[in-house]
Amino acid sequence: MRIPLALLILGALSLPAHAQSGNADAAKGKVSMCIGCHGIAMYKTAFPEVYSVPMIAGQSPEYIVKALQAYRAGDRSHPTMRGIAKGLSDQDMADVAAYYGGTGKAAR
Amino acid sequence: MKTFLALALAACIATPAFAAGDAGSGKQKSESCKACHGADGNTPTGPDFPRLAGQHYDYLLKALKDYKSGARKNPIMGGQVGGLSAQDMADLAAYFSSQPGTLHVIR
Repeated sequence: MRIPLALLILGALSLPAHAQSGNADAAKGKVSMCIGCHGIAMYKTAFPEVYSVPMIAGQSPEYIVKALQAYRAGDRSHPTMRGIAKGLSDQDMADVAAYYGGTGKAAR
Repeated sequence: MKTFLALALAACIATPAFAAGDAGSGKQKSESCKACHGADGNTPTGPDFPRLAGQHYDYLLKALKDYKSGARKNPIMGGQVGGLSAQDMADLAAYFSSQPGTLHVIR
């Protein structure tokens, strides 16, 4: 009984609580699509209406992944972000989230 | 005529396109936001709750409006915005955007 229980616990621990962990270095080749809007201070999106593009550096990686998943699922409406999110794998999302959520000032 | 034109122009510039938010009123209305976004909007109480402090006013307002219209779907926020007027949303956006925060822009 002891060994199966230990294996069970080990198995439970190895299951990720949520999406896989991201790699900020791997994101460097993936953020080119983000930079065009989120990398410019005070940049505004023009379609379908005009408002400031949100600052994303400093948000938690978990929130950034959740936002990207919501765009991919259609739960958030911005057309450009929907298109971009649909082209991202779960690993891409985790990596991009680690990149923007892991910057110096983001420390919780 | 020149004076009249100048006055007319000044009136146009002074008239806001929509009701501007009042940060002081927004602070008073922000009580229920604190449970998730933190007392200052910069200390979320859960890992997947966003920071609001210092975020752009018009983005925060857009987010609230989208929750209200259903264009942005989230079970928690969808419930929160039901009782908010357009002025409430503008005030809340003004308050949180005026708070010092750690959000920033990187390339």
